Amino acid sequence: MKDETKTPALQVSNLQFRYPDGAEALCGVNLTIAVGECVGLIGPNGAGKSTLLLHLNGILPERLESASPVSVFGQSITAATLPMVRRDVGLLFQDPDDQLFCPTVFEDVAFGPQQFGLANERVAAVVREALAQVGLTGFENRSPHHLSRGEKRRVCLAGVLACQPRVLVLDEPSSDLDPRGKRELKALLHGIHATKIIATHDLELVVELCPRAIVLDHGKIVADGPTIELLNDEPLMLAHGLERPHILRHRHPH
Amino acid sequence: MHHDFLDRYSRLDSPIHRLPTALKLALALIFVFVTVALPLSVRDWFIGLTITLIGVVALSRIPWLFLLKRLLFLEPFVLGMAVLTLFQPNGVRVFATIFVRSTLCLLTMVLLSNTTPFSAILKVLRRVRVPALFITTLALMYRYLFVLVDEAERMHRARASRTFTRETSRVHLWHALGTVIGQLFVRSTERAERIYAAMCARGWR
Repeated sequence: MKDETKTPALQVSNLQFRYPDGAEALCGVNLTIAVGECVGLIGPNGAGKSTLLLHLNGILPERLESASPVSVFGQSITAATLPMVRRDVGLLFQDPDDQLFCPTVFEDVAFGPQQFGLANERVAAVVREALAQVGLTGFENRSPHHLSRGEKRRVCLAGVLACQPRVLVLDEPSSDLDPRGKRELKALLHGIHATKIIATHDLELVVELCPRAIVLDHGKIVADGPTIELLNDEPLMLAHGLERPHILRHRHPH
Repeated sequence: MHHDFLDRYSRLDSPIHRLPTALKLALALIFVFVTVALPLSVRDWFIGLTITLIGVVALSRIPWLFLLKRLLFLEPFVLGMAVLTLFQPNGVRVFATIFVRSTLCLLTMVLLSNTTPFSAILKVLRRVRVPALFITTLALMYRYLFVLVDEAERMHRARASRTFTRETSRVHLWHALGTVIGQLFVRSTERAERIYAAMCARGWR
């Protein structure tokens, strides 16, 4: 916004997407996210949040066209730039069981770095660091299916952080976490300095972490602006299946 | 939930558990192959192997009852087929051969999987250059078996919680089972797609 000359971390222009069964998921999404921003993506169930996120590191569409509507650090996503894009944009999936596909925690966190061709000692160091960052040092040899939900979520995050992405894209990171888990997640995310996009129904998380919010409904962006301003707009919130979060009611009388 | 029905005791500590994985894997494979290939008339092998396995069980501290239950659970798959041989001349002998062989082989594999963590077995396979695709498939299978069992269990519970009558009609039961299996299949394929997406997201090609 302030620095026009800087290339944005993410730029989406007129993104449309229709699922193979004909359901229209995204109809003309425009979006620019500057380097270092932390943006909350909110909207009702089925608004297209997850679909949008899957486009940000080229999981969707399944067949890339020559001119992708999504560019990452000024590079349009093409078959040639895809490996780089996937390294730059780390994606945290909604269901930890989808993301933890290796027999041990170590192997899972090491998966990304190995794919990027790091040497074995480097991989081990990166994994150690990532696990320490999420507070799971010593979990290396555990099996994912023996972990609690919150621990699984943190291993997923470690797996993404181990790829050292410049943009972190999170799909419902706080769903099914207990209050302590949520608190720890917030502190953890707060300490990560990458550009962040967080899709969530947890509006308090958005208030606490994201200065900017985007409201998505029926595959279109219906509002984009400062979080406090948007979330205080009760008619807007109610019209799109959301609500004015309690912490704002207590904080801002105006 | 009981995520450990496959290899409950694989993380115990015993002399057998501490043996190198490669050695255990190699021995298990040799035991199985020789047992399948040798005729039953080579008594020494079969008696020797039986004694060896009993020794392994004692040393490994895996409860006897657990092994017995596991064998009882697995045997019907093999013996179910073998029963057919009883109807041919000399069938009893063939059946006995199959019974002895399958019991020894199954016991060997159950012992292997309960004295060695699966990830360690995979590591050895990788070291001896088993094709990566095969190892990935095995690793994913092991990982998602548990998720699948959980899912089936949750569906079963959800159904049970809404079953108010003591339904004894077979047709109903089979119908419900069919639905569960169908649902499980659909959910698994969808999950497979999501897992693939998650792998791609971290650079898989």
